[in-house]
Amino acid sequence: MTEVIINGKLPPPVRRSDGVIVPFNKDLIVKSLLKETQLVKELYNERPLTEAEARVIADEVQDEILGMRLKMLSGPLIREIVNVKLLEHGFAKQRNVYTRVGMPLYEVYKIDNSDGYESRENANLQPNPETFHKKKADFLSKESYLLMIPSHIADAHLRGDIHLHDLEYWGTRPFCQDWDLRYFFYYGLMPDGTGTHTSVAGPAKHAEVAILHAAKVLGAAQTNFAGGQGFFNFTVFMAPYLKDFDAKRLHQTAQMFLYEMTQLYVARGGQPVFSSIQIESGVPKVWQDAPVVSHGKKWPDLRYGDLEDTVHAFAVALLEEYLKGDAMGKMFNFPKPEVVQRARYWDDKEFEDVMLRAAELSAKFGSTYYDNMIPAYRGGEDGVSCFQCCAYSFSEDGKSENFQKKVMFEDGAHFSMGGMQVVTVNLPRVAYKSGGDEARLLEVLKSTMDIAKEALMLKKATIKRQFERGLIPFASQRPRGAPPAVDIDNLSLTIGFVGMNELVQHMTGYEIHEDPSAQKLALKVLIEMDKIRKSYSEETGEKFSIARTPAESAAQRFAVADLIHYPKFARDLVKGDLEKGLSLLNETKDVPVYYSNGAHVNVAAQLPLDQRLLIEQRFFPILKGGDIFHVWLGEANPDPEALMKLNMRLAKQSWVGYWSHTKDITVCRDCGYVGGGLNSSCPTCGSASVRNYSRITGYYQDVSSWNAAKRQELKDRYRVRLS
Amino acid sequence: MGSSAEAYAPEIMPLSLCDFPGEPAIVIFFSGCNYRCGYCQNWKIREQDRSHLTRIDRIERLLEGGKLINACKVTGGEPLLQPEALMRIAKKAKSLGYKFGIDTNGTLPERLRGMLPMLDLVSIDVKTALNDFEYRKVTGVDNPMVDRVIESIRIALASSAFVDLRMVVIPGVNDSLEVVRSIGLDLNSMGYGEKASAGGASFTLVEFVPENAGSREYSMMRNPSVEELARLARAAPLRNVRISHRALGYCVSVEKIQL
Repeated sequence: MTEVIINGKLPPPVRRSDGVIVPFNKDLIVKSLLKETQLVKELYNERPLTEAEARVIADEVQDEILGMRLKMLSGPLIREIVNVKLLEHGFAKQRNVYTRVGMPLYEVYKIDNSDGYESRENANLQPNPETFHKKKADFLSKESYLLMIPSHIADAHLRGDIHLHDLEYWGTRPFCQDWDLRYFFYYGLMPDGTGTHTSVAGPAKHAEVAILHAAKVLGAAQTNFAGGQGFFNFTVFMAPYLKDFDAKRLHQTAQMFLYEMTQLYVARGGQPVFSSIQIESGVPKVWQDAPVVSHGKKWPDLRYGDLEDTVHAFAVALLEEYLKGDAMGKMFNFPKPEVVQRARYWDDKEFEDVMLRAAELSAKFGSTYYDNMIPAYRGGEDGVSCFQCCAYSFSEDGKSENFQKKVMFEDGAHFSMGGMQVVTVNLPRVAYKSGGDEARLLEVLKSTMDIAKEALMLKKATIKRQFERGLIPFASQRPRGAPPAVDIDNLSLTIGFVGMNELVQHMTGYEIHEDPSAQKLALKVLIEMDKIRKSYSEETGEKFSIARTPAESAAQRFAVADLIHYPKFARDLVKGDLEKGLSLLNETKDVPVYYSNGAHVNVAAQLPLDQRLLIEQRFFPILKGGDIFHVWLGEANPDPEALMKLNMRLAKQSWVGYWSHTKDITVCRDCGYVGGGLNSSCPTCGSASVRNYSRITGYYQDVSSWNAAKRQELKDRYRVRLS
Repeated sequence: MGSSAEAYAPEIMPLSLCDFPGEPAIVIFFSGCNYRCGYCQNWKIREQDRSHLTRIDRIERLLEGGKLINACKVTGGEPLLQPEALMRIAKKAKSLGYKFGIDTNGTLPERLRGMLPMLDLVSIDVKTALNDFEYRKVTGVDNPMVDRVIESIRIALASSAFVDLRMVVIPGVNDSLEVVRSIGLDLNSMGYGEKASAGGASFTLVEFVPENAGSREYSMMRNPSVEELARLARAAPLRNVRISHRALGYCVSVEKIQL
């Protein structure tokens, strides 16, 4: 179909984005303006356009087009002209909702070729067709949420005062969850949450089915959540299915789970589920007398305490399967094994086999995480808590409401621990804004945290509405009238932070490890943050927490933002390769500069481990929302028994609640060599086709997929041994 | 020589997980050596230099401050070249309840004898077959004093310390079955068998890492594979043989290796 332009007075025909070509009709502009600017009321509580205003805009748009002598028009082009007119008339908010979201064609092309900044934001996303699709969808989502949220919050994010994590899921997904396996062993499995699109399975009756259900729970959950999915108390809740198994069958079952979790390559645009399991060596005190829930029933005369031998044997089997690695001898990077540390596991020699396997796994692949319940601030033996995902921590203490009901699984009552959202504060920026004045620093801190709090409350309201409408169906499922799988009001609202080290460096002239005055200020700021957090909780009744942020991309983004907005200060403080960073800054934002994570000491500091421990352990009791102590191993061949003794000291004599040993690993694609160290060619066959693996922030991934800042950090890390 | 308050100790590693079997340890490097092995990974500290001088009381403070360690090891270089300093550090370490050990090339048996009461661990290099002809090839000196090395091994095996006899395996230099067999026979004749059976001794084959070698000649060579080390380990008529190779992740006894 073609339209002839008659004497230049009619605009050309319009190629609409819904796939048709139609004559230009300005009434359609009026109609769409009236309809779409209604959103202004819903999102910002301001007024939509009146019909008279819309007509003025439409007339001006027509005149504008006539003056342009175009041969063809498109819907998006008209829309942009309308947007310009809206802005000219001072309708900025109305423009926000009327605009289109999307990305330049060039960027789409780059994404399909696995190139550009977006290709490295999340190292867990490897290039594949699903990932390319996700990247485009993410881009569109992020842009739209930045328009939908109040502009002062969006601006704070864009300027780099704060970072809204997983922005692409802002309006649709809560963050992360640690699941209670008993729920599914009692009610069965509906992967879609409703049973309409997937088959509905009754409760597992066999070990293999229980394992597959466990894997599918995490896979299904990942479609509803932005971040990590895990099981707390995994070995204990699995035990009823494994009761009479010999070692061989236990190993087989453990192996099945590890392969399921690393081969279900389907989550969030083609990646494995970001998963973790809490490995108890025995049955914790809280669960000793609790009735076993499995096979669709609550057992009248079986307590978890009766299954301690099975729990113990399963923990050993799991760790031995992790130690074996996959068919290539490569590590299983998921589910992250969180090995629980309790005084009993160290004092009772019976559990030494688990502690030794955990150390062997650290020595071989670095994969073990140590979840230390011994320090008093973890709540002791009377509560339930876990670290998961990127080292966030969740807990319920024994005195909390309904705690006992949940332990007893009364009427399906169960634990639901997790996070709603993380918003990270750029601490060096707070220091720059303070002008070096400490009182002012605390004021700026508060006002920045206030924006974070406002963002978190908005997220909570948004997600709760989605939840109640059944739009997060796996989380809100209620099989057979059970309580919802996820207690949406119990999810933490987490305020994270990056760059405590650089904050104190700006204020005192010293990095955290360089002078006691720097450490003192870091503690003071943290205590202040915790005080503010407490006031938020009291004011709103929500579960606010403070955590060190993994900051896989935020540590870089803040450093880059400050090089742009506060170059005078930031040039002295950002870590990494500043010269290279500055030279690249005009072309890309993926540059090798970063701030230190959380309250961590500069990774490059030439500081013995015990000295770093003395500094960093003091922050753990305050950072109840999560923190991690990194041991960067320099040895290619650490001795597992020596490593176990180091673990014992960390567990029993430090305040560290969570740690891991990071061992850099080289894997050869030609001969299958797997060994310690970062080698550019294979030490065995000489092939250059090698891949290097290390821990990026809270998990292991191929180094080549890391962003430039994290690759720089890897180079800078000061290891326990430099050889 | 520096004053008695100082030692040639250019490097201190506050925490190591691979230098003292089963224990997290602080490792102190003494400089100066009477061998000139081409494969040495610590070749930079083979010669003593004034810049290496470190106050011994500083080292003692470090020992006192160690929060995460159970043991202390002095390596080098050859630690027995500075016996007074070594003794001072040993006494301090023992008084703090740490286990104490040294690495030695075995050329100073009388000094070793003097140290033995302090030692929980003696790690002696076995460079190759225990004769002057073979030793000359590896150690780069005309008189490698193998009779003294043998004496040191004998003394150590007769002591209560744990004895780890370590051989760095260099392909084409000391990796023949004959070399390993002859070492095995010699060690057994010196009492290795009984001590190893009682859990008091081990023989460890260590991967040679060309990247770390001091001489150009050695840095051009290749490293041995796990299979080669395992083959040698099985050929040695010895108990308690272990292998250290990057591809194994950590030191393992040869019985545990599945090929």
